[in-house]
Amino acid sequence: VTAVVALAEAVRTAVAAVPDPEYPGVGIGELGMVEAVDADDDGRVEVVLVPTFLGCPALDLIRADVAAAARTVTGVRTVEVHWDKGAAWAPVRITPRGRRLLAEDLAVAVPTPSGAVRCPVCAAEGVEVVSEFGPSLCRRVARCPACRNPVEVVRG
Amino acid sequence: MVRTWDSLEAFDGHVGDGGMVEPVDAMPDAYRQEVFRFIELHANSELMGGLTERDWIIKAPGLRRKQAVLAKTQDEIGHAHLLYMVAADLGVKTRAEMLEDLFAGRTRFHNVFHYAAVTWADQVAIAYLVDAAALISQQAIFKVCSYGPYKRVLRRIVAEEGFHMRHGEEMLLTFAEGTALQRAMFQDALGRWWGPAVQLFGPDSAPDDPLLRWRIKSERNEVLRDRFVQKYVPLLRSYGFEVPDPDLRYDEEAGRWVMGPIDWAPLRATFKNLGPDSARRLATAGGSWQATRWVREALERPDAGRAA
Repeated sequence: VTAVVALAEAVRTAVAAVPDPEYPGVGIGELGMVEAVDADDDGRVEVVLVPTFLGCPALDLIRADVAAAARTVTGVRTVEVHWDKGAAWAPVRITPRGRRLLAEDLAVAVPTPSGAVRCPVCAAEGVEVVSEFGPSLCRRVARCPACRNPVEVVRG
Repeated sequence: MVRTWDSLEAFDGHVGDGGMVEPVDAMPDAYRQEVFRFIELHANSELMGGLTERDWIIKAPGLRRKQAVLAKTQDEIGHAHLLYMVAADLGVKTRAEMLEDLFAGRTRFHNVFHYAAVTWADQVAIAYLVDAAALISQQAIFKVCSYGPYKRVLRRIVAEEGFHMRHGEEMLLTFAEGTALQRAMFQDALGRWWGPAVQLFGPDSAPDDPLLRWRIKSERNEVLRDRFVQKYVPLLRSYGFEVPDPDLRYDEEAGRWVMGPIDWAPLRATFKNLGPDSARRLATAGGSWQATRWVREALERPDAGRAA
């Protein structure tokens, strides 16, 4: 049993580190997309992922990258990757490290659970939403009146 | 906290030492104009590129490809949106002025959007080659760019273009591993797009290019062009396609590919909006701009619909 748990844990670590195709350097684990990882005695592994939004055009690509990452783990024989399209993803699933990486490296803000948004560039409050969608359907476009940078805000 | 510089030399020193320039800084007007022109051209190109992409949503084969083209259109228009914000903030022109200038043919957009995409294989050639050429340029700018807001937007653009590249590679593989007809279609499209992709980098940079001095660009045009050639000539050949340059040869001693002479006349024609598809594209985009004028006017007058 412990071997199976260790295998599932090793796969979870490998899978969590798979970078998001649109956020290089940010793992899908940091984004809260890895829901469950199961393994059995025969090295069969099942990974369940949660999409940040259903229409995300990167789902196939992420699934392929996750399967490839899981296969690199010693002891894994077969891999199945599912998207749990019934689960509700929300920005609160993003880890503190994920938030920091998104802000510092990509100028993308993640709202706090209360909905507050700080400018990812200068940390000022009062970021003004300019449009509901930007380059991606999962982000709003906003402008920070303090530092005058256009920034993007993850949608809930 | 407004930073000022006593002289152009002091500003040059700041930028030369790797210093960043932010919107709130009192930057020299020459820098402001130069960075504005560069970002305006980039914004125009993203917009015209997105509109080109949009034409293929309905024609893309299959749901997966349609979804990819849809997402790419969203990306390009979104990039234009962000870049017009950065450009407008510089205070040289408003967004409306930039768009009016673009559609009236007073400003430019990248050469690759002045050509017609004839078949789906053209779209694949664009996704595989033209996007790759653009990405090579943008990566080089992003690395050193001195203007903070542009660098930050470029960071995300480069990430998203990298994602498009993966779609492009997958689509290319479909053609490369496909039927004789599919392979012929792609070879044909390559004949139309190799030249524009190579010319996208522009003629060799001038020795005193202010874009290089102020780190708006990091590398000379010819260096970037060569990087593209050294990467994509072997790749295309490995898939069994022929690079449409009769003078292309491999220099054994130097271990590199050497292109034949480049005819810059087609590039210069696009600068004057005299490319093969320039007029149609500008008319389509400008027509949409005119047709949606009433929406913008209504948005600017939120009280207009209220009962008196």
